[in-house]
Amino acid sequence: MNYMPGTASLIQDIDKKHLVLLRDGRTLIGYLRSIDQFANLVLHQTVERIHVGKKYGDIPRGIFVVRGENVVLLGEIDLEKESDTPLQQVSIEEILEEQRLEQQAKQESEKLKVQALKERGLCVPRADTLDEY
Amino acid sequence: ILEDYLLVEDVPLLEEMAEEDEELDLYNEMTFGLDRETTEEDIVKPLISLEMSPELASVMAEETETGEELEPGVVEQPEKLGELQQEGGMDLEAEQVGSELEEEEEELASEEQEEDHEPFEETNDLGDPAVMRAVQSKPTLESQDSAVLDSRIGACWAEFGKEDMLEMDPAVWGSCTGKIPPHHVLEDKAILQVLERPPPPSTNVALDFLGSPVQRGYRASPRHKCPNLRLMSPKSFPQHFLRQSAGYASPTPFQPMPPKIGSPSQPLGMHFGPMSPSLDPALFFAPAASGQPNLSHCPVSRALFPSHMTQLHPQHQRLLTQRQQQGGQAQSISPKKLWSPKADPYAGLMTSKEKDWVVKVEMIQLQSENMDDDYYYQTYYHQLEHKQAEEELLGGRNKQEPPKLVTPFIQKVETYNSVVRIAGSLGQVAVSTCYSPRRAIDAVHHALVEEAAGSQRLRALHRIEKLFLQLLEVEEMQRKMSLAPEEEQPCCQEQKSQEVERIYQVLKIRACSSEEEAEDEFLQLLCVRKGKKLTARLLPHLTREQGEKILLTITHHLPFLMKKDSLSLLYSPLNKVVGGMAFSKLIEALQEMTRPLPESPELPLAMALKNQFGISLLYSLLSHGERLLSSDAPLEPRSGDFETWTDTVFLVARELSQVPKTSLVEPLFLPSNLLSLFCRYLDKQTVHHLEAKME
Repeated sequence: MNYMPGTASLIQDIDKKHLVLLRDGRTLIGYLRSIDQFANLVLHQTVERIHVGKKYGDIPRGIFVVRGENVVLLGEIDLEKESDTPLQQVSIEEILEEQRLEQQAKQESEKLKVQALKERGLCVPRADTLDEY
Repeated sequence: ILEDYLLVEDVPLLEEMAEEDEELDLYNEMTFGLDRETTEEDIVKPLISLEMSPELASVMAEETETGEELEPGVVEQPEKLGELQQEGGMDLEAEQVGSELEEEEEELASEEQEEDHEPFEETNDLGDPAVMRAVQSKPTLESQDSAVLDSRIGACWAEFGKEDMLEMDPAVWGSCTGKIPPHHVLEDKAILQVLERPPPPSTNVALDFLGSPVQRGYRASPRHKCPNLRLMSPKSFPQHFLRQSAGYASPTPFQPMPPKIGSPSQPLGMHFGPMSPSLDPALFFAPAASGQPNLSHCPVSRALFPSHMTQLHPQHQRLLTQRQQQGGQAQSISPKKLWSPKADPYAGLMTSKEKDWVVKVEMIQLQSENMDDDYYYQTYYHQLEHKQAEEELLGGRNKQEPPKLVTPFIQKVETYNSVVRIAGSLGQVAVSTCYSPRRAIDAVHHALVEEAAGSQRLRALHRIEKLFLQLLEVEEMQRKMSLAPEEEQPCCQEQKSQEVERIYQVLKIRACSSEEEAEDEFLQLLCVRKGKKLTARLLPHLTREQGEKILLTITHHLPFLMKKDSLSLLYSPLNKVVGGMAFSKLIEALQEMTRPLPESPELPLAMALKNQFGISLLYSLLSHGERLLSSDAPLEPRSGDFETWTDTVFLVARELSQVPKTSLVEPLFLPSNLLSLFCRYLDKQTVHHLEAKME
């Protein structure tokens, strides 16, 4: 509950652990230390979490200053429930490898798709300037 | 009487700490309308109930009585403050405050001699004169903020130049507003309070609400006469709120003063002018309740606007204090000891001052005429007001001012150009967005002008969004129109109709065959829930012909649309359209439902019976037809209309009797005249049978 009903504010979220999803797809987890009127964030003891399938890996990153416009969403992490996850944590090396493999597989299937379309005389779908839906 | 002026006082730095309670007082006073006869003790009481320890309260009471005897009171504060430390995370802040106090005390000692205790010129109405003096300063960067310049504040400054306002005689005020007889200002309760009472010590880390955290950290250099800051803008602001139009329902703009809100971008140690421009805008006005043209209170808050809490409606303050107390407790109970404010050494990085500052900017953003920007916030308060008004009527209580969030208010233009361009220039004009973050955010909107390429669905969604924005504008126009005086209505109506027409054109409602249904733009919109919502909200604004066209289109494509998700939200507005239809138009609509379909043996009619919207629409059409026939109004039917009508009735009766009861869906509304309609054409047995079915 905030003291300005009908509005949303990050003031009450200060000093709490948050998960922040950025527009470039990164997931950051850290303590929200400071904000400003643009919702620029200062994250402390931040960890970048990479998810591949059921596995995830954390890369410690330190302090982040995130420009507000790059945030898709953020939410407070319930510390009690944090460890209550079906996901399996693995080492950084492993998750990066998994990620690389995943990207590779995606690229290959994309290549095949484009090829198939080209063969049928259809144009290649171009990336939009907007975020993908 | 609204008058804003800023008072500068020669008070020791410690005073800033003490602001909060005073502000609470003023706030309480103006919100709950304490009498002038209220003694100072009464005023002091609410403060006690809110946050203070009894000791502090007594200190305050002392101070109040001793008037200007600030020094002894001031010295006592540090110890008192220590006792008032709140739980949890406030510890750190309290320590900061403690140290600040000590620093300030030292400065105080050196400053005292320099202070000029100039008695304030007052009328006999005032009690003990407070020591005040206007101080001039150079305009700060913040004052150049475009949000401020947009407003008349800028004009006022230019008008006045920098002169000591207070030494001032009321004549200056008079020239400023030209409307209020100067002496009235001094009669204002709030002003008197401010003048009479030196600020009592504050309880918690109430700080300069508006001060820049950076500047706050900056200690005034000793050579300043008035070391700290409460800056004061020597000007008084025009009484914008002296508007008399009763129709004006928005909250009175409350002009604080120069947004000498410290800009965080200033490097530490920088200051402007001879005095450390410390922040503060001092004046805060509670927006008057809507519809109340008179502003009977003029809260004048001195200098620093302390903590954000002071600005809040008492309920909020209570909730906040409760929350803080609970927060402290909850944290100690939490099993996750690893992270608790006490253990977390990095907690409190963002100080209360900084939070207050952000909250302040947020609150400034809330003051806008535009309903859409802060819909939930505004709706909440409107509802609260209504509830209060109701309670007043029912409970017969004394007239109570609907509580309003007292927020710092910078008078802004109602709408702003988010991207400012000067004709012929090569680019955008740099516009300060520090205090108007919406400007910065909205600027993005202008960039996305081109329609996204992509799937059809995506395009449909984009169109819906664009149309919705236009619809919201139309609704806003409608709302303003209903509030505007009679004379202005026709031209507003004209404008509105133009907008509505524009939207209607973009909808591209046109005839299309069954094969093209999936590609038809209007139908695509109708496949999306938001598109249906858009249409439903637009219908009341359309002309009769336009509404009927939409109805016919929907009825024509009913089988296609019924396959998509529920059309029920369209029922209500379409029902109204039906209610206005002429007989032949009605027949046209019914014909749509009875025409045979190429790809199915079922009639649209039969399909409709199994769909909630379909059956409701069908009943609505039949009911209206029956109404028209039973009334004496001339029908002007075309040839063949009556036959079609009779055929349709029989057809409906047949389908109704044939369809199994389990497939029959309950309509949203069952018109009462359907049975009488059937009675006229069918035998009793059939009617009974149908009646059983329809229940």
